Amino acid sequence: MDPKTAALIAAGFAMGIGSIGPSIAIGNLVGKALEGMARQPEAGGQIQTAMFIGVAFAEAIALYALVVAFLLIFVA
Amino acid sequence: MHVLEHFYIEVIIPIKVFGIDISITNLTLSMFGAAVLFLTLFILLAMKPKVVPGKRQAVIEMLLMFIKRNLVYTMIGKKEGDKWVPLIGGMFVFVLSCNLIGLIPGAYTPTSNPMVPVTLAIIVFFTVQITNIRMHGFKGLVRTLAPAAVPSWMYVIVVPIEAISMIAKPFSLFIRLTANMLAGHTIIYVLFGLILYFESYLIAIPIVPFAVIMTLFELFVSAIQAYIFAVLSAMYIGEAVKPKH
Repeated sequence: MDPKTAALIAAGFAMGIGSIGPSIAIGNLVGKALEGMARQPEAGGQIQTAMFIGVAFAEAIALYALVVAFLLIFVA
Repeated sequence: MHVLEHFYIEVIIPIKVFGIDISITNLTLSMFGAAVLFLTLFILLAMKPKVVPGKRQAVIEMLLMFIKRNLVYTMIGKKEGDKWVPLIGGMFVFVLSCNLIGLIPGAYTPTSNPMVPVTLAIIVFFTVQITNIRMHGFKGLVRTLAPAAVPSWMYVIVVPIEAISMIAKPFSLFIRLTANMLAGHTIIYVLFGLILYFESYLIAIPIVPFAVIMTLFELFVSAIQAYIFAVLSAMYIGEAVKPKH
């Protein structure tokens, strides 16, 4: 296998495996936030703010994988 | 056709001052456009302020109150918060305008190039460190690196971790913004690329509505990322202003 092909396959795996963790994290986060909002609707605004920040943190990890995938495709 | 064609920098007016390249490129042109657009908008909205705000003035007051209450007061605190409103507000509006200008066809997204968020992240990093040293002296820096609540033999592990996290904070701040803006635009580009790739107009029937939805999602992401950039900078500054331990 030449290095370019290996890099392309690695990029696909990086993105695919790299997004498993963040997707579980975001699902968990939003689910818990909805649970909290359903129990206490008056705290909805605060929960939403905290949820968005948490989602951004979790999402960033998938985006690191995306950056690595881009590096593998275009640099390696 | 290249997938990242959209993000190539083209020099429009080459300028060199003492060997430093400060040429006007399509990136800086978009950035100037965003700045001028939002400045004119805000000046028009805030012109001739009255005690009882009209519709025009209410918009700008709502934005200001949002920045003050949601970003600054919750993260830095009411007592110290007021003097940080210009920095955090400026950051929020600048990032928001740069994100939004990229949605105009033909314009470059300034925040999708790593260099613009890196500059903002470096500003945040030095603001945090200098605030920490100015408000708490050299002890503040020591306390950040080696929290007092930790038993002394743990310092071998804790100090390197804290030092790494000090650097990782601005790093993750800029990577998050860049990757988010890059990913959204690339997805739209790839979607439209599919039409050319399959060389069929029929494929446009599902692609175009999906691209419209993605563009709307991009609008949402632009606002959310600007909010998150500002809120995290406020959080890091807040940690320097009133340390928890």
